Amino acid sequence: MPDLERAEQLPKPAEAGRLVGFDRWWLLFAAVAILVVVMSLAAPDPYWRMILFMREGIRVTVSITVVSYVCILLVGLLAGLGRVARSPIIRGIASIYVEVIRGIPLLVQLLFIYYALPVIIQGIGRYLLENVPPLSGIGQAMAAATINEFVGAVIGLTICYGAYVGEIYRAGIQSIPRGQMEAARSLGMSHLQAMRHIILPQAIRVILPPLGNEFVALLKDSSLVSVVAVPDMVRRGREFMSKTFIPLETWTMVALLYLLMTVFSARIVAYIERKTSYVR
Amino acid sequence: MCAETASPVGGVAAGAEPIIQIRDLHKWFGQVHAVNGVSLDVYRGEVVVIIGPSGSGKSTLLRCINHLETPDLGTVVVDGIPLTEAKNINAVRAEVGMVFQLFNLFPHLTVLENITLAQRIVKKRSRKEAEEIAHDLLAKVGIPEKASSYPNQLSGGQQQRVAIARALAMQPKIMLFDEPTSALDPEMIKEVLDVMLDLAKEGMTMVVVSHEMGFVRAAAKRIVFMDAGSVVEETTPDDLFNNPQQERTRQFLSKILK
Repeated sequence: MPDLERAEQLPKPAEAGRLVGFDRWWLLFAAVAILVVVMSLAAPDPYWRMILFMREGIRVTVSITVVSYVCILLVGLLAGLGRVARSPIIRGIASIYVEVIRGIPLLVQLLFIYYALPVIIQGIGRYLLENVPPLSGIGQAMAAATINEFVGAVIGLTICYGAYVGEIYRAGIQSIPRGQMEAARSLGMSHLQAMRHIILPQAIRVILPPLGNEFVALLKDSSLVSVVAVPDMVRRGREFMSKTFIPLETWTMVALLYLLMTVFSARIVAYIERKTSYVR
Repeated sequence: MCAETASPVGGVAAGAEPIIQIRDLHKWFGQVHAVNGVSLDVYRGEVVVIIGPSGSGKSTLLRCINHLETPDLGTVVVDGIPLTEAKNINAVRAEVGMVFQLFNLFPHLTVLENITLAQRIVKKRSRKEAEEIAHDLLAKVGIPEKASSYPNQLSGGQQQRVAIARALAMQPKIMLFDEPTSALDPEMIKEVLDVMLDLAKEGMTMVVVSHEMGFVRAAAKRIVFMDAGSVVEETTPDDLFNNPQQERTRQFLSKILK
C-alpha cells in the first residue's frame, strides 16, 4: 500500500505540535506584547495608569469569555445532538432554537435579557403573589427579581453562541460516514453508546478548529456586554476616557489589549488543531 | 416466489425451525419499491447467497434482517425473536454479526480496540477477557501481529478480516455479509473468502450478498436470485448454474459467468 508508506513519513501528531513553537504568527503576538510594554514604560501616564485602571475590566472580559465558553460547549452539544436526533419533536425544538437565535442580533438578545426578561419574571411573580396563594413565596422572590450583570452576560452569550456552536457540532457529527453508526449499531450498541464511543470521538477532531475560532469570536463579541453596564474592558475604557478625555490613547490601548488576547488564543487553537489532526 | 413456496432446498431436515424467517417483506425508498414481497427462510448452519443485478434489493433485504433498514411491511423473525418491537432490535443485533462492503472499521481505534469495544460495553466483558477473545480471533483470521495497528495502516483485505473478527467477537449465531469483497483488489479477495469458507465449514449460519461464484460453488447451500426487489429463483448452486428455470436468471448468469 503506497498510502501506508506516506503515512509513516508524515510527522507524528506530537511532533507536529512541537513545531508550533516556531509558528511565525507568534511573532505578531510578540510584537504586540512588546509594543504594549514599551508604551507602558515610555509613557506610564497615560498607558500604565490606563492598564491599572482597566485591570478589573480585563479580568471581567476574560472570566465572562471563559465561563460562557464552557457553557456554550455544553449547550451547543445538546443543540447539535438535538439537530440530528431521530425524534422529530427533539429535532424540531433544536431547529427552532437555532433558527430563531441566529436570526436576532446578539446585542438585541443582551438588551432583551437585561431589560425585558426581568419585566416578564416580575410580572409572573406578581401574578403568583396575588392569585396563587400556595406559591406566594416563589411569587414574592420573582416579583423582586433583578438580573446579576455577570450572570446575564453569561446567559446571553451562551444562548446566542450555543446556536452557532450547535451547528458546528451538527456538521461534525454529520461528516462522519453513515457506515460508522451502522457498524456500531450492528454490534449491538445503543444509539447513545455509538454516539459516545464512535461518532463524537471522530467528530471532535473535525470540529476543534471551528470551535476554537468561536472562542476568538466570543472574546471579541463579549465587548457587547459593556452596553448593559457590565464593567468589562470596553466599559472601563469608556470610563477612563470620560475622566481623561484622551480617546486616541485610550482606544489604541484597548484595541492592543484585545489583539494581544485574540492572537494568543488563535495560536493556542492552531496548536490544539495540529496536535489532534491525524493521518487517516 | 412467496411465502408458501419458501421451502428449504438442499437436504435440510424437515420440520426444523428456520433461524431466520422473512415473510412478505416490503421496503420503499420514496417511489422506489426496493424490496417487493420477499419471503425467505434460513436454517441453522446454512449458507445462503443472494445474487442479482445492482439495485435489485439484495443489500436492502440483508439490512432488514438486523433492522439497519426498517421494513415498511412484512415480518422478520430471527431465532424466534420478532423484530417488531424496538426493544427486540438490540437483542437480535447481539446475535447477528454484519460485515460491510466498506469494512466500516472505527478509524480512531486500534485493531484490538475495534474488536474489544462492543464486547466490553455491550456484553460487559472485562478488558482481559475481551482482549483474549480478540487475540484468538485475530489469529483465526490470520493477522495476529496487527493488534496494535490502526485501520488506516492495513490493506483492504486485512481491514475486512478485522471487520469479520470484530463481528465474531460478539459470538453471533448468524453472520450477514454485504458484498464483503466488492471493494477489494483482486489479490486480496481470496484471503477474505478463505476466512468465510472456514466459517462456513464450522457450521456458521451465513447470509451473503456476493457475486463471488467460487465461494458460491464451494460453500453455498442455497442461492437466491433477486431482481427488481423480488426473488426470481431460489435453488441450489448446481441447479442454478446448470439448469436455471427463469429467463431473467439465464440472462443475468450469462453476464456474470464468462
